[in-house]
Amino acid sequence: MAGFQDFSFLIGMKVSLVRIVVGYLISLVLGLTLGLLIGRFRILEETVGSLMTGLQVLPSICWLPLAILWFGLSENAIQFVVVMGAFLSIAIATDGGVRNISPIYLHAAKTMGVRGISLYTRVILPAALPSVVTGMKLGWSFAWRSLMAGELLFVSVGVGHLLQMGRELNDMAQVIAVMILIMAMGLLFDQLIFARLEKRIRRKWGALSNGAVKT
Amino acid sequence: MRISIEKVAKEFETRNGKVLALDETSIDIQSGEFACFVGPSGCGKTTLLNLIAGLEAPSRGQIKRNGEVISGPGIDRVVIFQEAALFPWLNVIQNVEFGLVGRMGAQKRREIARTFLNLVHLGRFEKSYVHELSGGMKSRVAIARALALNPSVLLMDEPFAALDAQTRDILHEEIQEIWAKSKQTIIFVTHNVREAVRLGGRVFVFTARPGRIKKEFRVQLARPRDINSEDVLSYAQEIQKELREEIEKFLKEEVDRGWTLKKTDFLRPAGIDLGSGI
Repeated sequence: MAGFQDFSFLIGMKVSLVRIVVGYLISLVLGLTLGLLIGRFRILEETVGSLMTGLQVLPSICWLPLAILWFGLSENAIQFVVVMGAFLSIAIATDGGVRNISPIYLHAAKTMGVRGISLYTRVILPAALPSVVTGMKLGWSFAWRSLMAGELLFVSVGVGHLLQMGRELNDMAQVIAVMILIMAMGLLFDQLIFARLEKRIRRKWGALSNGAVKT
Repeated sequence: MRISIEKVAKEFETRNGKVLALDETSIDIQSGEFACFVGPSGCGKTTLLNLIAGLEAPSRGQIKRNGEVISGPGIDRVVIFQEAALFPWLNVIQNVEFGLVGRMGAQKRREIARTFLNLVHLGRFEKSYVHELSGGMKSRVAIARALALNPSVLLMDEPFAALDAQTRDILHEEIQEIWAKSKQTIIFVTHNVREAVRLGGRVFVFTARPGRIKKEFRVQLARPRDINSEDVLSYAQEIQKELREEIEKFLKEEVDRGWTLKKTDFLRPAGIDLGSGI
């Protein structure tokens, strides 16, 4: 493949990877925090909760025009789109996970003298982990899609741009090759990170894992 | 530790207005006592346990430990819940260590956890995960987890209700043994009258909603007690009689008003001995 010889594929992959990793990490932090807060505080759930669902219905690429107006044709704009695509699904899954925690875990932890921050780190987060991981996986694929859509529309280096270039040059081979490349990259991450996480959770929790599991 | 419950009442807000779960309850539990609460479901016995644990606050009245008002949960009063409430993301030994984290070094923690895991005869299973354990094993881990904190009061909320009769019988023996050694105050909630008589020094019978103390029985039998002994049975029958009126009251609220309990022959008054003790 010519793409690998002139390094255009490698450069594109590197640029896309940096974008998605940065965007995804931001989404992860935002999503987890927001999800935990909404899951724990009723008032937030009643105010921000429905807004969140509403925003999630909006395909994240719809944020691109706004992002370009705000940030200009820059990395920030495309990162913004990635974050908007991923963090809501992470937040919603975290919120659901937190809400489904059996209150008996919290009671047990409290009678054993756990409170404050350590209640979050030692009980709420691990108890919600199965659904959080589902959300993370979902968030990852949303992030990946948003990034591709963004790169297709918004001309800059990146895998999506390679695809667009293939079309402009009428180069069917490149188009197909890049499509396979995108698929392979997504699959690689899924296997490397999420499949392993899920396997570990299954081993600990037993067969079914969705946060509402009781002992 | 002495627990004094003084004129405690607890109301809950529900969609159909306020529900009085517990009313005018006063009990004095001495240090080292084994007290059992029995009553129909929804009589507020678990509520009272949660109040003692500090998980909830009473609407009226107060609960004191050694003369000091209880305002929140503390590791001097550990609860063992019905479903064991073990954490599925931790393995057995980590569950037992849970309450000790942050109070001592990792080495010491592991040592204490091992001691208590051996006490409940689960030393071999320290690396297992919760879903790999049977119901009885889960109860054992929950007991070890609570004892590891060395609480002065152990609050047990129907801990053996979900177990089969044989496992329960063995766990009764072991909890009696542990109590005889440690002399901790134990408050034990159950709906199983025989279990209460077998374990308790005093048995408090609760009324149906709102929960009040209907009657207090002092079980004066030598320990360890056998669940099938005549003495346990005769106490149990007496208590059962008190309880049946309450169950009838409770069920009348749940099912049709006209419903009544049928009189059954086997629940004869405890005073009449038909030669069964020969």
